[in-house]
Amino acid sequence: MDSKLKKIFLILFLYTGVIYSSGIKDKAFEIINNSFISPKIEIEKFDLEPSLKTKIEHDVKQRFYQDYIYIYKIFVKGKIEGYALIDNVLGKSMPITFMVIFNNDGSIQNSSILKYREPYGGAVTSEDWQSQFKGKSNNSSYEIGKDISTISGATISVNSVSTGIRKLTYLFNSIKSKL
Amino acid sequence: MRSYLSSLIITLMLSASVFAQDEFDFIKKSTLSGYGELHYNVVEPENGKTSKTFDFHRFVIFYGFQWNDKWSFKSEFEVEHNVVEGTKGKVALEQAYLNFHYADYLGFQAGVLLVPAGIVNEIHEPPTFFGVERPKYHSSIIPTTWSANGVSVYGMYKGLNYRFAAMEGMNADGITAKNGIRGARYNGHYGDGHNLMFNARLDYTNIPGFMFGASATFNRAKGVNVIPWNLLEFHAKYEANNLYSVFEIGNISYSDFDVERSFGYYFDLGYNVASFLDWETKVIPFARLSNYNTAASIKTGALDSDGSALTTDKYNQNRWMVGLSVKPIDEIVIKFDYAQDKNKASDTKTTFWNIGFGYFFY
Repeated sequence: MDSKLKKIFLILFLYTGVIYSSGIKDKAFEIINNSFISPKIEIEKFDLEPSLKTKIEHDVKQRFYQDYIYIYKIFVKGKIEGYALIDNVLGKSMPITFMVIFNNDGSIQNSSILKYREPYGGAVTSEDWQSQFKGKSNNSSYEIGKDISTISGATISVNSVSTGIRKLTYLFNSIKSKL
Repeated sequence: MRSYLSSLIITLMLSASVFAQDEFDFIKKSTLSGYGELHYNVVEPENGKTSKTFDFHRFVIFYGFQWNDKWSFKSEFEVEHNVVEGTKGKVALEQAYLNFHYADYLGFQAGVLLVPAGIVNEIHEPPTFFGVERPKYHSSIIPTTWSANGVSVYGMYKGLNYRFAAMEGMNADGITAKNGIRGARYNGHYGDGHNLMFNARLDYTNIPGFMFGASATFNRAKGVNVIPWNLLEFHAKYEANNLYSVFEIGNISYSDFDVERSFGYYFDLGYNVASFLDWETKVIPFARLSNYNTAASIKTGALDSDGSALTTDKYNQNRWMVGLSVKPIDEIVIKFDYAQDKNKASDTKTTFWNIGFGYFFY
């Protein structure tokens, strides 16, 4: 058993050096490219206006990780077809980077985790779990255990990411006319 | 072993520096979280005195620090039974480790780690399990809270979570028929570095609300005699559609010891009845069935640690429990339970009832 375990460790070490760890931006582009036909993407670092930031933080009971987020405007054949908002929420102790793609009407077309950094709770990255947010908007209910299923061993990540996604629906609803 | 570990660390460090910074400015940050639980316990043995105690069982603080996108530190500091004085109470560092998270599929930890066996040992905040006290399976078979110094490699790929750990060995002199491997833990206090303990764990988590997995832990425990042992366990948890269910089963096999096997399981089933009333507060009545036997299989003529004759019925306990968990919010729980233990050898019953208040914050 001991020698078998050593082999497993050795295989892991060898692979470590060769597997490419894709960056946040690459992953965001990949998801957008898979969701739209030949999209053109315009990136904007969007500063959050302090009073709006405070109001949303109060409404959803979660702080923004920073004073800005990234917005990717998605154009297809010169026409705007959607917006991808990229933000972070704090998990148990590390930030979780996630992206929500909105349709023009403010509903969620797709949500995904771009980077997870915790040793536990990684199941929030699952596409099946993320698919529960499709079609939701700022008027939807996000109750854990009812609208959004729990994940054993990932309670904190589930709460953080659900609230984070809901927070972006509030934000998008407030800023979409300015974009 | 040492050469493998050092090559792992060097490879990970080199590969980390190759990749460009992400477009987010990482903020160096400390985090503080924690949990705690107050218990009121009543124990009524069939023969003997009833005991009633009020106990602030656990006060726990998690402190973490993140240097950058990949390197962080995490710790869990615990005070048990509120006062630590002489033999009273306990202060323990249940986790304290350096974490290198290279990517979803590969991470590395070194320090005081929780042994990745079963559900409750790694995730034990009070709102996450039924019953005021942790399931008895998690002291008889898996000796929760079970910490050990060591290193681990972990990752996740398409919902498959894997973890391999090499940790301090156990103390063979602490293995008993009554308590299994519970008394053999060093919990990170000058643990045995001669005969390391190895663990491998797999979990599947890609079905929303459902997780299942198994782990294997093995060690040649060193003491006056060497006792090789291995723990194999399976666990599953379902939490969706207002239904809550947990099943865990485990077996410890020993060589060169009077006990050949320890075995146990428990099964929980609960339902959030507040869903009928559309309440935000969750009200979950539950029932538990369990059996645990630290001497489920023994050698002929086996003796207990006090020299008395050992039988396979002596530590064979059946327990049933009914109870209620009320969660006004997900981070707070008020618990009630009523349980009965029956020992097969003595055919005596012990009744327990408990009230608990638990919380966690992050």
